[in-house]
Amino acid sequence: MSRRPDNPQSDPSSSDRSSSVVEDWTELRTLLLAPEQTQLDELRDRLDGQVVQARDVGRVLPEAFAVRGDHDEPLSTVLAPYVESGFVTAVRKSPRTIVDAIAPIMGPAIRQAIARALQSMTQSFNRSLDESLSVRSLRWRVDAWRTGRSFAEVVLLHTLRYRVEQVFLIHRETGLLLHHVATDAAVVQDEHVLSGMLTAIQNYARDSFGASQDQTLDQFQVGDWTVWVEQGSQAYLAAVIRGTPPTSLREDFRDVLDHIHAKHTDTLARFKGDAAPFKTTQTQLETCLQAHYETPRPDPLKAWILVGLLLLGAIWLGWTTYQNQTRWSMLLTELKATPGLVVTAAKSTWGAYYLEGLRDPLAKDPSELVAEAGFDPTVVKAVWSPYYALNPELVLVRAETMLHPPDTVKLTMEGDTLVATGSASETWVGETRRFAALIPGVSRYRDEKLLTHSVAELLDRINQTVVRFGPGVSTVGPSEQRVLGIVGVALRSLDEAAAHTGQRVVLEVLGSTDSTGPAARNAQLRKERAETVLASIGQHHIGEHTTVITDIVRSAASNGSQTEVGSRRIVTLRAFLTTAGAENETARP
Amino acid sequence: MIQKKICMLGGFAVGKTSLVRRFVTNVFSDQYRTTIGVTVERKSLVVDDHDVTLMLWDLYGEDEFQRLRESYLRGSSGYIIVMDGTRQSTLDGALALQQTAARTLGPVPFIAIINKADVRAEWEIDDRSINQLRERGWTVLFGSAKLGQGVDELFTLLATQMLKASPPSGVPS
Repeated sequence: MSRRPDNPQSDPSSSDRSSSVVEDWTELRTLLLAPEQTQLDELRDRLDGQVVQARDVGRVLPEAFAVRGDHDEPLSTVLAPYVESGFVTAVRKSPRTIVDAIAPIMGPAIRQAIARALQSMTQSFNRSLDESLSVRSLRWRVDAWRTGRSFAEVVLLHTLRYRVEQVFLIHRETGLLLHHVATDAAVVQDEHVLSGMLTAIQNYARDSFGASQDQTLDQFQVGDWTVWVEQGSQAYLAAVIRGTPPTSLREDFRDVLDHIHAKHTDTLARFKGDAAPFKTTQTQLETCLQAHYETPRPDPLKAWILVGLLLLGAIWLGWTTYQNQTRWSMLLTELKATPGLVVTAAKSTWGAYYLEGLRDPLAKDPSELVAEAGFDPTVVKAVWSPYYALNPELVLVRAETMLHPPDTVKLTMEGDTLVATGSASETWVGETRRFAALIPGVSRYRDEKLLTHSVAELLDRINQTVVRFGPGVSTVGPSEQRVLGIVGVALRSLDEAAAHTGQRVVLEVLGSTDSTGPAARNAQLRKERAETVLASIGQHHIGEHTTVITDIVRSAASNGSQTEVGSRRIVTLRAFLTTAGAENETARP
Repeated sequence: MIQKKICMLGGFAVGKTSLVRRFVTNVFSDQYRTTIGVTVERKSLVVDDHDVTLMLWDLYGEDEFQRLRESYLRGSSGYIIVMDGTRQSTLDGALALQQTAARTLGPVPFIAIINKADVRAEWEIDDRSINQLRERGWTVLFGSAKLGQGVDELFTLLATQMLKASPPSGVPS
C-alpha cells in the first residue's frame, strides 16, 4: 500500500474515510495482537499487584531457599534472628501450642534420661550388693573406710575396666581449649590450663627427641589415669581415661575427631581464640565418654551352695511349720475334749497362737495342756472366760468340793441327779440335803442308800468292840479283821462328826492277857495286841481330830492279876468325845 | 569469650614468672624458683567490652645452656619480652629473642618490659638503650613485679593490641 492510512485530510469526506481507516486498523490490530495484549495486561497487573507478587514468590520460595542454602551459609545467618524472634513470639503468644509440639520429643527424651540414671544407679547398687558378701569386698570395705570414699565408689573403681572421664578438644597450634566434656565423677581442675600444659608437654617431648611434626606424643600415664592423644590436622583430642582402655577406643576417638574436622574445617582454619562455635561438638565429644566394667563372673559353687542353703531353709521351714500345725491341731483337739474347756476361737499366724474360750474353774489348767503339746506357753496367748460346765464328772467334782463328803460317803452322778451312798453323820446328811440342789449342774439329790448314824451309835459301835486272841499270840484273825474294818469306818465318821462340833475324839486301845505265863511276856503281848489292832483299823481311818492312846495297856496290865479283865486274851476299845485341847487330860490314866 | 596465647620471653631470672604470678594471683615471692620447661597460667579480663582469657605461657629463661624452643611460641597471638634493668645483658638477649619470635610468629603484637623498677638506682640499662629500643618500634614499659607496678597495664595493653590485630568476628578492625 502506497498511501499512509493515518494521513489526515482536510475535507469532510476524507475525514470520514480517515476515521473509517482508523477503525479498520484498530480492528485489524485487535484481531492480530489480542492474545499478546492480554498477556501484557496480565504481566502489568502481576508486576503492580502485591497480591499477585506474594502468590508468585510463595510458589518458588521453598526452591529458592534450597538453591541458596546449598551454596553458602549467609542465608542461615540472615534468617536466624528472624526465626529466633519468631519462635520467642510464638512461645509468648501461645506456649500451649509449643508445649504440644515438643511434648512428643521431650517426653521420650526425659524418659530416656531417667531410665539411664536409674539404670546407672541400679547397676551401681547391684554391683555393691554382689560384692557385699565376698572376702574381696571386705578388703574393699577397708579401702573405703581408709580413703573416706563410699563403698559403692570403691567397688566401681575396682571392677572398672576403663572409663573415659574427660575429653579435651584442643586447637593444635595455640594449645587453646576448643571444648571440654567430663563425667560427673571426674576431677576437673582448670581445663584451659591443662589444655595449654598438654600442648606444652607434647611440644617438649617432640623437641626433646628431635621428632618431626607428624611424630607425636600419643599417650602417657599418671597413676590410674592414661591420657590418650589423637592428633588431627587442626585440632587434637585428649582423653583422660581411668583403667585400661581397649585399642578399639582409639578408632572411636578418631571417628569423632574426623567428623569434627569435616564439619568445622573453616572454623578451625580461621580460629582466632573464639571457641563458641565448638559448643556444637558437645554431643560428639560425649560419645567418647565411654565406660566398661567387669562383668560379674558366675560362681557355680557359690550358686549351688546358696541354692542348697535356700533349699535346706525351705525344708526346715516347711517341716517346722508342719510340726507346729500338727501340734496345734492336736492341742485344739485335746482342749475340746477336756471337760470344762470350750474353745470359741483359735488362730495361728507365723509362730503366734491365739486361743479364746470358756473355762470351768475346776477344769484342767489349759496352760498345762499347752505345755504338754510342746508349745512355749508364752507364745500362746489365751483368754479364758469363767463358766460352770455341766459335764457329769465336773459336776461331781464340784459337789465333792462343796459338800466335803466323809470317806464313808460315795457320791455319784446319775444324769443330773447327785446320789450319795455309804454312811454319814446326821449332821452331814442334813446339810447335804439342804445344799446339794444348789450346786450348779445338780438338779436333784438322792441319799436313800446312805446310812445315817448318830455319834452315840458310833461310840457304841466302837466301844462294844472286843478283839479276841489265841493264847500267846498277837495276830488278828480274819473275822476280827472284818470287825475292825467296821470300827475303822465308824471311827472315821466319828472323827468327822467331832470336826463339825469342834470336839476331839479320844480312842483308847486296851490290850489284855490272861494270867498264865511270865509277866514280862504278858506285858509284851498286851502291847503287841494293842498295836496290832490299831494297825488293823488302819491309819487312814484315824482322822486328824482323833487322838489315840495305847499307853493305857500298861496300866491295865499292872492290875491284870487282880481283875477279871486281866485274865482274858482280848483288846478292848474305848472312844469318847472331849473338848478340843482337853484330850490329854481326859486321856491321862 | 576470646582466648589468646601469650608467651613470656626473657633471660633467666628477669622476673617472668614473678610478673605472671603477680598478674594472675597478685602474689610476689622473693624466693627465686627457676622455671623448668614451661608453666601455663590463665587470667581472664575484660578488654573493650570483650571477655578475654589470656593463656600465659611462662617459658624458662633462656641462657647459654638452653635455647628457646620455637615450638612453644607457635600459636601465640602476642608475646612479652622481659628484661632485668639491673643487668645490661638481658637487653642483648631480648633483642635476640625478639628476632626469634618475629621469625616464628610473624608481625604479632609484643611489649617489652624492664622489670625491677623498685631498684631503679641499680639499673645498668640506661635511657639511651631504652630509646634505641623505642626507635626500633618497640613498646617499652617499666615495671616491678615486687610492687605490682605496671603489671596490669602490661597485660591489658598487650591484650588490647592483640584484639586490634586480630579482632573477633563482628568487631571492626
